[in-house]
Amino acid sequence: MIKSLGTYDFPSKSRQELYGDDILVHVWRKDSMFFCAAATFRAPKAMKWTDFVDGMVMPLMTSDPDFDRTKELSWQLVDDSFVPDPDKSLEENGIHHKNTIALIGA
Amino acid sequence: MTTNPTKPVKKLSMQQRYSALTRDIDWTPSYVTEDQLYPHTTYEGIKIHDWSKWDDPFRLTVDAYYRYQAEKDKRLYAVLDGFAQGQGHLTLSDPAYLNAMKIFLGGVTPLEYQANRHFSYLARHFNGPGPRFAAQCQSVDELRHAQTEIHTLSNYNKYYSGMHNFAKMHDRVWYLSVPKSYFDDALSAGPFEFLIAIGFSFEYLLTNLLFVPFMSGASFNGDLPTMTFGFSAQSDESRHMTLGLEAIKFLLEQDEANVPIVQEWVDKWFWRGYRVTAIIAMMLDYMLPRPVMSWKESFELYFEQQMLNGLFPDLAYYGIRPPKGVEQAIWEKEHLSHLVYHTFYQFSHAANLTTSIPTKEHQAWLASAYPDAFEQFYKPKWDKLEKMAAEGNRYFYPGLPQLCQVCQVPMLFTEHGDPTKLCQRHSEFKGEHFNFCSDHCKEIFDREPEKYVQAWLPVHQIYLGNCGGPTIPDVLAWYGYAEGDSGEMLGNVDHNNWKKWHAQVDDSVGGRESVEVGGAAEAGKGA
Repeated sequence: MIKSLGTYDFPSKSRQELYGDDILVHVWRKDSMFFCAAATFRAPKAMKWTDFVDGMVMPLMTSDPDFDRTKELSWQLVDDSFVPDPDKSLEENGIHHKNTIALIGA
Repeated sequence: MTTNPTKPVKKLSMQQRYSALTRDIDWTPSYVTEDQLYPHTTYEGIKIHDWSKWDDPFRLTVDAYYRYQAEKDKRLYAVLDGFAQGQGHLTLSDPAYLNAMKIFLGGVTPLEYQANRHFSYLARHFNGPGPRFAAQCQSVDELRHAQTEIHTLSNYNKYYSGMHNFAKMHDRVWYLSVPKSYFDDALSAGPFEFLIAIGFSFEYLLTNLLFVPFMSGASFNGDLPTMTFGFSAQSDESRHMTLGLEAIKFLLEQDEANVPIVQEWVDKWFWRGYRVTAIIAMMLDYMLPRPVMSWKESFELYFEQQMLNGLFPDLAYYGIRPPKGVEQAIWEKEHLSHLVYHTFYQFSHAANLTTSIPTKEHQAWLASAYPDAFEQFYKPKWDKLEKMAAEGNRYFYPGLPQLCQVCQVPMLFTEHGDPTKLCQRHSEFKGEHFNFCSDHCKEIFDREPEKYVQAWLPVHQIYLGNCGGPTIPDVLAWYGYAEGDSGEMLGNVDHNNWKKWHAQVDDSVGGRESVEVGGAAEAGKGA
């Protein structure tokens, strides 16, 4: 608990409501150190998983010339293994604001 | 006032004058309570029983102080004039050296100014005259440092890019939010925590890792003005170090109940400061065309030998142990600079400095400085990026990185003990998810989540549209960048100017009709 002179209650500067219908999603590759760090995307909660992967994640991943798209990919959401439903939205897949998704394989 | 004209007034000794200037100007409040006069010194839980026990080891008086500083300023400004008149900007080891000074000007100089402001606040708010006067002197020092640093580097601003907008950049540029937020964290803490954060951790524990590398880099790379500034500041810095040590000992000696509070601050502020040094590690190992010493050597000498083996055995007497996180920092010394420069290489389109693949000679130096890490983990990365660049695909990261909620560094750090796995940590607070680069940043958040939820994280703010607009060019315009401030070093404005200027010098001095541009280009790449 913070020690302060008075009431100390300030809102988060990155809270989800500021992003309207969107959320921030982080994606990183677990088996490669080519990218210096995980990425941050701003995406609609209602975006289908498959659109998120094809439209946002893959343009970044394929900027690594050694990235092999033909390999089967698996995912992890925060700490747990994760099998997304490609036709469901990010929200329906249980992805929350600022969650980190790891891409395994490739 | 009456004096006896027949009796000459006896001059006070230095110590008497000091005492008259400090202790004698104190008074006991009569119409308000002490708590009303000093309302900020109790809420942190620190107990002070006897403020007079604060011992100022310097006993400097104001008149002596100003005389001494004026002398130093005179010497510094004489060097600055001489350097400017002698076209000193052409005698640097390489224009790429100035990338280190861009970090210094944007990242460190504004902190000097913030320190000036906050030591001024301490000079008002401490109950005891000893620490008030010490804070007053340090406040004046910090202002002098900010001013002289700006003057020292302003000559380069006439010829080189990336320095023209440093104050705005400090407030806005993504990586400069790392030192800025570090200091903001200290400024928004209580007066005693600030004393441990800045007086002790920054000015004592880490000062030789934060400040000295810039000055030795300057001396090895032909930057006479910055080196002279370094000397000019050195005596102040050693005074600040002594005060930092006095501060922690004073708190520990006043009450046993202070010990666990101070320990928590030592843990927190070691790690906060250490994360800021990530950028110094990169500067030392990758940005100096003539390297001075590696980060690893620097860490071993200035931290492991001087602090862990020198200072902490003394502090153990008070019940203080070395900060949490030390073991990880020791392990990271082999890896830190490589990870950070790799990040700046991938994001240098958005930094106010330029990067390039380290030359073969430089890589050989890195391999000898890091025999257990460079060839195994980092050379393969540079080889791949070099191959891509040769194929016309100079790599820039096509997106925005994830940032640590506490240190604000992109999440580039690896698991402690495994250089092949990036580290990810997280916490939930009031239903919101937060991400961290390490166990220690997570601990700092979990201790005071109310504070760190307010972090102004550049990437999140860009996505909120608060940084000039939705595209990278919009953001860079909002940073105040001009052509040549960022990106690849080779072929950059500064690199091209350097070749041109040196071709002119060679031409006129040698009296040759034609200029060997290729030779000048080689010189421009540096060793």
